[in-house]
Amino acid sequence: MSVTGASHKYVRVVRLLTMRRDGGCEPLELASFDVAEVVEGSAGSWSEGSLTLCLRDLTEAAKEGLPALQDLDVRVVRPGDPVRIAHVLDAIIPDVKASAPEITFPGVLGRLALAGRGRTNRLTGIGVLSVCDWAAAGLASPQAFPDAFVDMAGPGRPMTAWGDRPELVVTCTPKPGVPVADVDRSIRMAALRVARDAARATINRPPSAIDSFDLAECVDAELPALAVILQVASEGPLLDTFLYGGPVGGIVPTILDHREVLDGALTSGAYDWAAVRNVTACYQQSALIRSLVAGHGESLRFAGIILALGYLDTPFDKQRSAMLSARLARKLGADGVICTTFSSGNSHTDTMLTVQACEALDIGTVAIVAETNGGLTDHVPEADSIISTGNHDELVDPWMPGEVIGTSDNAMAGEPVPLWAYLGACAQTGGLALTAVPA
Amino acid sequence: MIVVHYLNQFFAGLGGEEAAGLAPARIGGAVGPGRGLEAAGLPIDVTLTCGDDFFGEHEAEALALLLSWLGEIEPDVLVCGPSFGSGRYGYACGSLAREAGRRGIPVVGAMTPDNPGVLAAEGAAYIVPTGPSVASMRTALPTIAGLAHRLGGGEPVGNPAEDGYLPRGLRKNVRVSEVGADRAIAALLAKLSGDVRTEVGPAFDRVSPPPAIGDLGSCTLALVTEAGCVPQGNPDHLPTRHSNIWLRYPLRGVGSLSPARYESVHAGFDTRTANLDPNRLVPLDAVRTLEREGQIGRLHAFFYTTAGVDTPMAVAAKFGQEIAAELIPAGVQAVILTGT
Amino acid sequence: MFITALPTIAQMIGANRVLRGRAITAPTGDPSLAAGEEAKLRRRIVERALEMLSTDVGPLTAWEVSR
Repeated sequence: MSVTGASHKYVRVVRLLTMRRDGGCEPLELASFDVAEVVEGSAGSWSEGSLTLCLRDLTEAAKEGLPALQDLDVRVVRPGDPVRIAHVLDAIIPDVKASAPEITFPGVLGRLALAGRGRTNRLTGIGVLSVCDWAAAGLASPQAFPDAFVDMAGPGRPMTAWGDRPELVVTCTPKPGVPVADVDRSIRMAALRVARDAARATINRPPSAIDSFDLAECVDAELPALAVILQVASEGPLLDTFLYGGPVGGIVPTILDHREVLDGALTSGAYDWAAVRNVTACYQQSALIRSLVAGHGESLRFAGIILALGYLDTPFDKQRSAMLSARLARKLGADGVICTTFSSGNSHTDTMLTVQACEALDIGTVAIVAETNGGLTDHVPEADSIISTGNHDELVDPWMPGEVIGTSDNAMAGEPVPLWAYLGACAQTGGLALTAVPA
Repeated sequence: MIVVHYLNQFFAGLGGEEAAGLAPARIGGAVGPGRGLEAAGLPIDVTLTCGDDFFGEHEAEALALLLSWLGEIEPDVLVCGPSFGSGRYGYACGSLAREAGRRGIPVVGAMTPDNPGVLAAEGAAYIVPTGPSVASMRTALPTIAGLAHRLGGGEPVGNPAEDGYLPRGLRKNVRVSEVGADRAIAALLAKLSGDVRTEVGPAFDRVSPPPAIGDLGSCTLALVTEAGCVPQGNPDHLPTRHSNIWLRYPLRGVGSLSPARYESVHAGFDTRTANLDPNRLVPLDAVRTLEREGQIGRLHAFFYTTAGVDTPMAVAAKFGQEIAAELIPAGVQAVILTGT
Repeated sequence: MFITALPTIAQMIGANRVLRGRAITAPTGDPSLAAGEEAKLRRRIVERALEMLSTDVGPLTAWEVSR
């Protein structure tokens, strides 16, 4: 037998052995590759914090086979650039399933496979921002999708998580006459491709760190068990959330493994009010999951994640979903739950009803909501512990950017900008450190 | 220090209710209660005035004119009122305070704590709490003068308890050291061990629930709605959003709201279902049936309507107080209010 | 008392007697019912409202129509 043949047999045996662990699949290995600088070059590579990307290759691969897009442009912007990126749709962390890139972002980009297992390579310190001016394309009225900014300099820069790192901006121009749902699907695919393909530069490279997010099984049973009720919404194209590529509309509250959430099972296709938008990155980098895993066995037991809808149409549907969420929380053995909120408006009623339903089952609750100039959008007496992610009506000082990407309108240049226009500035999943206090 | 004083038509000595429609006017020096402020140590340079009804019906125009004068005068402080328990006057004071505040002018007001003007001010004014009538004038004026003097002189103002004004309910965004997720986990662990903390709570005023109606069979009930229900064609032009008015329509001899004679002009919901049968918004037919059966004493002769779309809290509070002011002398003891 | 499909918002702003209405578009009706059934529903809603008015309640109380 040749040396090559012996190696092949050994590799096959090793692969069989690793497949039999953990019920037949490998546990999640999230390998981080820090990005301190981005250089444009003729091929993708990563070495000790320096990421080289071929923008032409990324662009070609992104738009291939997407006739709904008339044009697509990928460019790099860096912190401090005098740039306002407008009409931002989503923010994505570059991830690739290192041993099976074809299942990256399963269901929406990759082929269907369970997320949260196996090796994922993640570029940290860089994001991918998708951009499309729906109104200019005639696909939506300007009032339907208010401005959504990321500023790379100026007073708006600290308002989002994206101004302090390089960004790959994927600007898409829809082909006229194509239905908006098809355009959106294409934009999402293109942006996720850019994210995946940028991360490919890390394959076979040594990571900065590896996290597994496993939960130790034998922990002190006296520690309080905490769960998260993660609110998502699905109101049709441009106002949607996707679970393994399918819209979440119509789901009853359901349990997700926290590693699935971190590993691309949930993606965003919702583009209203920027500050309270839950972008794809907020699932990938969930601060709640990271902190609950870190606290597991120390100050708490992480009981799990329940995915539940907000913006349900009728009082009956809202109350029923709240009740079913609370029921699942009890099934998970939760002593307490953190209820997140999706966007503004009557989703806050879903949050409050969920609080009531949990408290009625003796499950303590904390809700995470953003404020407005008019105070809280909704409140119930049981919601006695609320984390505020800030008032999204507060104004940010005016700024004259040197350049505006993503629109030909003036994008509020030189005017005060309400915080609601800044991407994720008040996201009600708790990823930022903004809050409001009595003045 | 330049001080401007805002008064309504009555306190400016221009007349009573018959003068409530007067447009804004500008008077040199102190007038009426302004003289009391001067006696308390606050000289008044200019008095501005507006009729309460004019303000209510032509708010944008009134504000534009008043603000343009304030822009010329550039006062160091503006005093509005005291408006005591007057809802229309208080609303005008609070609205002017809010807009002046946005233009950097410190403002002092004075009114009852539940006056809609407090909400209208949106925290821009330091509002001295008063009783409902002019009997409070003597005690209010020195507090107002003192606050206005400090504000106009750029001196710091103490907290509400120290300096005699209502908490302003303002919030400001700050960046803290922990992200929301970590604060949420800490708050939940604290709550589970008995220590309940919150970063924010509801800001709305509370009233105690009135006692139960003892004998429904002799009670007078009124119907009120924010569902925008009006006679077909909206003859009195109820605004479909940002409404600044409520309307009253007779129900004598009307047993049911027929779709031929009534409709909803509310811009905040799909009115097609309701327009097929307006009783789906204001349940007149069912109330009449129960009235005939003696389950209630009688239905009040009018129903009250507005369209609650983008209605500021202060305006809604004003409407409620004004409608109640009609219902109470008419002997109404209970209201069914319908909303969408 | 206040009939609304969104009782939590009503409670938040301080309404003490709140009855959950049928739908945002029709708080006191239901187009999916036959006329006779809808009339019975509306009567039941108003009866429940009257019951609330003639009952002493604590602050911010919300009731359902069905018993």
